[in-house]
Amino acid sequence: MIQNVIIGQYVPGKSLIHRFDPRAKLLTVFLFVIIVFLANNWLTYAALGLFTLGAIILSKLPFRYLYNGLKPILLVIILTFFLHVLLTREGNVLFSLGWFKVYEGGVEQGIYISLRLLFLIMITSLLTLTTTPIDITDGIESLLGPFKRFGLPVHEFALMMSIALRFIPTLLEETDKIMKAQSARGAEFSSGPIKERLKAIIPLLVPLFIGAFKRAEDLALAMEARGYRGGEGRTKLRLLEWSAKDTMLIVSLVVLSVLLIMLRG
Amino acid sequence: MSKRKKLSALDITYAAMFAALMAVGANIAQFLPMVGGVPITLQTFFSILAGALLGSRLGAISMTVYMAVGLAGAPVFAKFSGGIGTLVSPTFGFILSYILVSYVIGKMIEAKKNPGVQTFLFACFVGLFLNYFLGTNYMFYAYKLLGIAPEGFSYGMAWGWMMVPLPKDIVLTIVAAVLSPRIYRAVNKTSRGHGRRSVA
Repeated sequence: MIQNVIIGQYVPGKSLIHRFDPRAKLLTVFLFVIIVFLANNWLTYAALGLFTLGAIILSKLPFRYLYNGLKPILLVIILTFFLHVLLTREGNVLFSLGWFKVYEGGVEQGIYISLRLLFLIMITSLLTLTTTPIDITDGIESLLGPFKRFGLPVHEFALMMSIALRFIPTLLEETDKIMKAQSARGAEFSSGPIKERLKAIIPLLVPLFIGAFKRAEDLALAMEARGYRGGEGRTKLRLLEWSAKDTMLIVSLVVLSVLLIMLRG
Repeated sequence: MSKRKKLSALDITYAAMFAALMAVGANIAQFLPMVGGVPITLQTFFSILAGALLGSRLGAISMTVYMAVGLAGAPVFAKFSGGIGTLVSPTFGFILSYILVSYVIGKMIEAKKNPGVQTFLFACFVGLFLNYFLGTNYMFYAYKLLGIAPEGFSYGMAWGWMMVPLPKDIVLTIVAAVLSPRIYRAVNKTSRGHGRRSVA
């Protein structure tokens, strides 16, 4: 778990989806989340479905990873489906069980809404499954670059994200260490009355916070000593490269949007 | 948010470190299996501390960083979840509310010269209120917007739904209010940057 933080949900690979520029992927997800709402008949949903399916196949990810991303929201999807089936009263009655009637419109509505959620989850999971958080951070910094002009601290923000990512495993480890140290001194974290256990949080949090602040100060000192002066004129170790395939990705999404607008009823 | 002055290196590292602390706080239940089997998360508690210790501006920035790191796919939200998919989850409103909570609490603590338990108690309940207010509204409108809300789903129902974990959160809020001044003082005493920051 602790080691997983830096790579996040990222699954290493060399597929086409993996190799897209993070900026292209971010833009794609952003656009996709918007155009998903354009779909309103089976043709448009089929187009979205084909796009999603194509992306999944191209990513060459084992299905299990996608399923993991879906698991927490699966219940919501199923619940949504049944609520729509039960509550919508449109179209012909499909079948009835005594007082209880299922309408055609309800089933249709239920399927559409569930599919919409499913597509959203799939495409957004694909982004985080094929891109490391660090790459996404770089992508965000680059995409939001133009906003620097309006005084938005884009560079600083991306830097903070990178630092936070770097230190999450360290702090988790430290929490573990402090707990062991305090247990050795007799602190009870997992037994005894609740009041006592809540009190035991103090000797855990105080060293944790002080340690974290100390680390922050040391890091700031080290940055200043190496001449950190903010984002102006700073060079980067990892450079993002926009290539033809990234342009193609954006074009394909624009085509999909046009298709949806033409096909929607 | 007005950017009066540039963020210094220390501002940057403080905010980043607090975002990392938030990730620990969200998953501290992993380390503390406790409080009658109810999984606890110290996110609200930590966001309150972020406002108190870093001040309103930096506190809000650090919570925004936390949110962004989580959205970028790092498993920093409760139960080690993360990813853009969280936006679709109805609980994302809580994560958004931490930004506001730390900002408001920072403002409240900054207004006091010597914040005591009452100040923190009041601030913490304001935090809890903001938490629920934003959380519930986000859930309600997320359901509406995504079109997944059934026809009978009303605003009142959303609130009813949210009331379930409220007693647990009230208890935790009181605990947070009692503990935060002690942590606040302990950290302030040893750190170089902050004491001056809250006055400035």
